[in-house]
Amino acid sequence: MTRSMAIFLLVILTFGGAARAEPTEAERMARWSDLRHAIFGDRVVEDAGDLVAVDAPARAEDAAIVPVAIRVAGTLAPEIRGFYLIIDDNPSPLAAHFLLGPIADAREIATRVRIDDYTYLHAVAETADGRLYMAARFIKAAGGCSAPASKDQALALERLGKMKLSLADRSKPEEPINVKLLISHPNSSGLQMDPATRNYIPADFMQTLDVTYNGQPIFRLESDIAISEDPSFNFRVRPSDPTGPGVINAEVLDSNQRHFSQSWPVPAAAQM
Amino acid sequence: MHNGVHEGASPTNGDAIANIGFILGDDAVAVIDPGGSAREGRQLRAAIRALTDRPIRYVILTHVHPDHIFGAAAFGDDRPDYVGHAKLPGALAQRGDYYLRRLREALGNEAEGSEVVAPTVLVSDRLDLDLGGRRLTLRAHGPAHTDNDLTIFDEKTRTFWLADLLFVDRIPVIDGSLVGWLKELREVTAIPADRAVPGHGPVSVQWPGAAEPERRYLEAVARDTRAAIKAGVGIADAWRHVANSERGRWLLFDDYHPRNVTAAYKELEWE
Repeated sequence: MTRSMAIFLLVILTFGGAARAEPTEAERMARWSDLRHAIFGDRVVEDAGDLVAVDAPARAEDAAIVPVAIRVAGTLAPEIRGFYLIIDDNPSPLAAHFLLGPIADAREIATRVRIDDYTYLHAVAETADGRLYMAARFIKAAGGCSAPASKDQALALERLGKMKLSLADRSKPEEPINVKLLISHPNSSGLQMDPATRNYIPADFMQTLDVTYNGQPIFRLESDIAISEDPSFNFRVRPSDPTGPGVINAEVLDSNQRHFSQSWPVPAAAQM
Repeated sequence: MHNGVHEGASPTNGDAIANIGFILGDDAVAVIDPGGSAREGRQLRAAIRALTDRPIRYVILTHVHPDHIFGAAAFGDDRPDYVGHAKLPGALAQRGDYYLRRLREALGNEAEGSEVVAPTVLVSDRLDLDLGGRRLTLRAHGPAHTDNDLTIFDEKTRTFWLADLLFVDRIPVIDGSLVGWLKELREVTAIPADRAVPGHGPVSVQWPGAAEPERRYLEAVARDTRAAIKAGVGIADAWRHVANSERGRWLLFDDYHPRNVTAAYKELEWE
């Protein structure tokens, strides 16, 4: 178990989903302070100013599928080696920890998350030399963790573990490759109850996702129940050989110890 | 039949927002959707008892949505068969508890007595129910409005009760499969009937003409969402580009349209 996986469990136990009145701004600040200490200990977490932004719709249309993007200024991006995405008022606040490889382009990474209550989102970017830059955003959404998103259960089972990768147009080899990755997985939270048995439906979620280009890591994600059903990721890669061809591989390990893996060819830049 | 109001669930309306009702045979009564709360279920039961003392033998649950099924507990003393789609138990297991909590939040004390009631008779394809001189044909549909939609055909009056496979005036809600719904619509509109009963809208509409606006809306959502995905528009913004020609043609458009497009996007991005 990695340090951050231990933190996922710790925060579930410490803050686990008790109903409460709408918190004051001071209480929200205190909560962030607690979370910051739980995740980063005594390390300094600097306000990122314009260097890092966390983008999400101010009011989510579907709290179980809230798109979130972390963006980093071009000047800082080459130094970034990781991101933490923290959803303060979720039952398990540390939603995602991305560890970036040297070929990742850190200017933008995006996913979709579940949001359980009106909350601050915090994105913390970590540099190679251990500095931490924090950006925050308040978001109005509720019920996303306990609300099951699955609309067609038979299809969800049939498609389990399948992945889809799309590459944006790659006419300029000097630009990074924009990649969109979809993974068919319920990523269920374990917060839904079966009324017949009064038992909670067991959690079944993606624990790690490793994405590589020609065997070199683009990123590793450590995550849990806050990532939406059918996890989706947008990211950028700058291959060491910018004109390509190459192979992108994605590998998932879930909480039931299932492994899913898939590869896609990336044609040489000139051919696209 | 009770004509549901075009609102969300509230203590004032007691979640009586869907069209619900019953069909009377020579021997027995079939309830088609017991309503959105135990209160509405009790009102429906009282309306039946004002008309007949024949046994309420069947309570048909057309799909998992709370505005149609939370009245089921009001019929417990009648010991009816609760009839649902073969996939209804799975959907209730996944969502029932959540829906009940939401109902209690929305209705407060007015939710009292409302419960998740599991179906006791499952339909995986077709099922005929005999009410005595009156036969109802139940059809289990593929994923459309939800993944557990049932429709009912009353042969005696040639009435096609579509429940939420058919929305009239109120914007359709996509909670199963957009592509599947368009497919099911093609099939059900080929079935002749003298009238149809939508889940929301007037209690009796012309068939199949009344399905045309719904088909038009769903086609527009499918077409424009595919275009948005292709153009690289993100899931959060896609609704702004989708089916704008439909705005003003539906009640509660702004309440449900963005969510419909989110659902459509999530389905169609796998194509």
